[in-house]
Amino acid sequence: MKGSHLGEFQEVVLLVILSLDDNAYGVTIKQEIAEKVNRSISRGALHTALTRLEEKGFITSEQGESHPDRGGRKKRYYTVTNKGVAALHDAKSIRDQLWNQIPRLKLYPGYDK
Amino acid sequence: MSKVELFPAPPKRWTRFFEWFCNEVYFEELQGDLEERYFRNCGRFGVRKSKAIYRKEILRMFRPSVIKKIKTQYQLNNSAMYKNYLMVAFRNLSRNKLFSSINIVGLAVSMAVGLLAITFVSEIHSYDQFHDFKSDIYRINNLRINIGRSTTDYATTSLLMGRRLQEESTNFDMIVPIFNGFNGDLIHDEKHFQIKGQYAGEDFLNLFTFPLLSGNPELALSEPFTVLITEELAIKIFNATDVVGEVLEKNEELYTITGVLKNPPLTSHIKFDAIASLKTFEAKPSPRRTRILNDWGTMWSSYVYGRLSKNSNLQRAQEELDRIAQEENAKVEHFRIEPHMESLTDIFPGDGKNNQMSIVMPKRSINQVVILALIVLFSACFNYTNLSIARSLRRAKEVGVRKVVGAKKAQLYFQFILEAILVSVLALVIAFFLFKLIRPGFIELNSYTLSTTTLELTPKIYLYFSIFALLIGFLAGTLPALLMSKIKTIHVLKGISGRSSSKGFNLRRVIVGLQFTLSVGFVILVGLAQKQYKYALNFDLGYTTDNIVNIYLDGRDPSLLSTELKKIPGVESLSTIYFLHSTGTLNSDYVSNIQGTDSVITYNNYIDYDYLDNMNHKIIAGQNFTADGPANQAIVTESLLQKLSLGNPAEAIGKEFKFYNQNRLIVGVVENFHYGTIFNTLQPYAFILDRDREMYYMNVKLNGNDILGTMDKIEKAWTQLYPEEEFYATFYSDAIERTYSGISSSIKTFGLLAFVAISISLLGLLGIAVYTTQSRIKEITIRKVLGASLNNLVLLLSKNFLIIFLISSVVAIPLAYSLFKSLVLRNIEYRISVGFWELAGEALIIIIIALLTIGSQTFRAAKSSPAVNLRDE
Repeated sequence: MKGSHLGEFQEVVLLVILSLDDNAYGVTIKQEIAEKVNRSISRGALHTALTRLEEKGFITSEQGESHPDRGGRKKRYYTVTNKGVAALHDAKSIRDQLWNQIPRLKLYPGYDK
Repeated sequence: MSKVELFPAPPKRWTRFFEWFCNEVYFEELQGDLEERYFRNCGRFGVRKSKAIYRKEILRMFRPSVIKKIKTQYQLNNSAMYKNYLMVAFRNLSRNKLFSSINIVGLAVSMAVGLLAITFVSEIHSYDQFHDFKSDIYRINNLRINIGRSTTDYATTSLLMGRRLQEESTNFDMIVPIFNGFNGDLIHDEKHFQIKGQYAGEDFLNLFTFPLLSGNPELALSEPFTVLITEELAIKIFNATDVVGEVLEKNEELYTITGVLKNPPLTSHIKFDAIASLKTFEAKPSPRRTRILNDWGTMWSSYVYGRLSKNSNLQRAQEELDRIAQEENAKVEHFRIEPHMESLTDIFPGDGKNNQMSIVMPKRSINQVVILALIVLFSACFNYTNLSIARSLRRAKEVGVRKVVGAKKAQLYFQFILEAILVSVLALVIAFFLFKLIRPGFIELNSYTLSTTTLELTPKIYLYFSIFALLIGFLAGTLPALLMSKIKTIHVLKGISGRSSSKGFNLRRVIVGLQFTLSVGFVILVGLAQKQYKYALNFDLGYTTDNIVNIYLDGRDPSLLSTELKKIPGVESLSTIYFLHSTGTLNSDYVSNIQGTDSVITYNNYIDYDYLDNMNHKIIAGQNFTADGPANQAIVTESLLQKLSLGNPAEAIGKEFKFYNQNRLIVGVVENFHYGTIFNTLQPYAFILDRDREMYYMNVKLNGNDILGTMDKIEKAWTQLYPEEEFYATFYSDAIERTYSGISSSIKTFGLLAFVAISISLLGLLGIAVYTTQSRIKEITIRKVLGASLNNLVLLLSKNFLIIFLISSVVAIPLAYSLFKSLVLRNIEYRISVGFWELAGEALIIIIIALLTIGSQTFRAAKSSPAVNLRDE
């Protein structure tokens, strides 16, 4: 089932890319993950996740503009494909289903007090 | 303002490292991100921390998804490309015939030496590998400590040790004692056959793997007076191998043959023609045999082999040996024996233990052969490397075009390695024939190689040869291949010279220098060793050995022979002696003055009445031995008089000294002479008269006319007297020459190597000279047109080489001299004096030869007509 499974970290990356809209490239994705999800990851680890996602067809990428801060090198922008959005929905619905199956008492132990 | 101008660039080396390992598809994006991040971090945390983060990020890029994909297109069918590589390689070889032949011949010569080393080493290491129980068999060796005197390591141990182990050992499940002394003549049908062999315990065939052709292995040596003989000996004696039950006579004892053994492999350290049963010693005891069997100290030629039992180990076995040794040492005085165990497979090559059963090659001389072979090999590889780099210019265009068409660096590298391997395989073919040519010479190199090696070729050896050729090709080709595959396409196609970097040029100089150092070093070594050898042979001994033939008497009565020999007209005079002087044999004892107070080590020998005159010894005082004089006459050297304070020679006559427990009367004093070799210093010496002693050698002085005819007559006289016995006679000078065979074999070794090293380096020089002159031909022509003289031009072209030669010589001379001191002169007391010209002279000769080699090229270039060279394009 290598083809369609969405890992937890990959899910985070997909969400971050979506939230960044048209400014999603390596540096911003990494920064967003560090700030919003509170996870410090290396650019290498991010690269691994991005190539996996691209292999699975959940994201596409295209070359963008260059900048002197980058030593004149071009950025690569990532966008989530429909398939990627669908996978996110799947993942969310599985979770929701699981959440719904759990009695409220167990989730909020102090609720009846 | 942009951040790029505010902060320093990220660490360059790390960036380059990242570029090296990163998949080029991702590099642009990833490096861009890293750099952007870096500059942003610089603003937030400062440069230092930002750099640290950058480095850490790069290290964490080291993951499969980022790293370059290595194997991409090798799965394709590339046979057409390989064909092309081979074709191009052959074309190149045939286009540059001079370079190709220099490369191939140079490699071939050195590879022949390499092949020798391979065959030699693999043969040495196959010793004793054929025994089934080889990993469990141990030999007990003795360290004999003569208390207060000396400690010596022997390969032997007493048979008593063997018997005690047989009786009480819990660690060895099989013990085989061997006594090395079944030597001499076997008699069958009144014919004598000289053999070498051993007496062995009854389990001999069970422990060692020597298969029987006929006979019962269980019973083979179980009875006294039984003997096993080899197939070869059986055929020699009976002309048949089915001879079990036949009887052989030895020293008036009759031995029954109980088995015929397949000839033992040459790679066995136990060498024999026949093995007799050790039980014979018990069945027919003599005082000597009883001592050999039962005396703890009599361990000089007996060996004990044991098989370690499966449920024991080395440590427990050693403890058992120590316990036995402790008990036996307590019963003796003056000496102590420490037994040690040596694995069967470690015996050969050995570490110099005394009294080995047969000659054991020392490890040291094997290492020497290997090191020297490696030196020569590297030298030849240098040649290939050197010439290939020199020629790389010519191939640069090819490399450029290949790159443009899509060749990868790795493919180009492979192509050039393939070319080198092709050359080394061609060289292997020539080397193989050279190897066959020099093999007999190598076997005769010294007594060790002669008696232990055959250099036979087995399938395994052929496999080693092929691997060797591949390795050499790889070694020689790596550097040129690397340089070639690095050539920048753009430079080549634009026509920029690839020789831009002076680095390659310097490397070549260093290589030429190294080779030259080797050549000069070897030549100096050979020269010095040769001089020392000549010196040893022509050393003034203090007596004359000219035209003296020594006949080995081996205990036969000399009077019969001397009567016969005196009838021969070519024989001038005769004498007899106990053992020969100046050939390495020595005998020394303590001698003291008559009060027994001053004792001094004195070397001595037994001679007859005629010896001193026959050998031209100078008698300074007194007279020779006289037949009617007392029985205790002695003649001594001047140095003994001084040591015993007996006054001057004239005063000493008639005085007595103590020798063994007798008083000896000095009847004469001779001048000091060299009784030993150049390895010994002169010590006091005494000639002893002993009328009952068996003399071993007869010295026959020939008068110099028709030496060959006289020798024939002497041999005839011998065969008439002793028709059954071999006639052993050698000229004294030959015997002395044999004494120094160690030095002469080093000369031969170094001579061969010097020759190889010089030929290789001259070949290399020739190649480089051709290349240099060719590539500078235009420059030379223009200089010539502008008026440079022939001398100027030759000097210009040779100057660089001359500097290399001088530096190499300066390095090589002290190196060679110190090697000479440590290898040849090690224990030599009488040495040649080595002056400046002995060393520099040899170097000068080599430099001149090298300059002539280069000169042949430079001279031609300088003389060539300008019109021809300038019209070139």
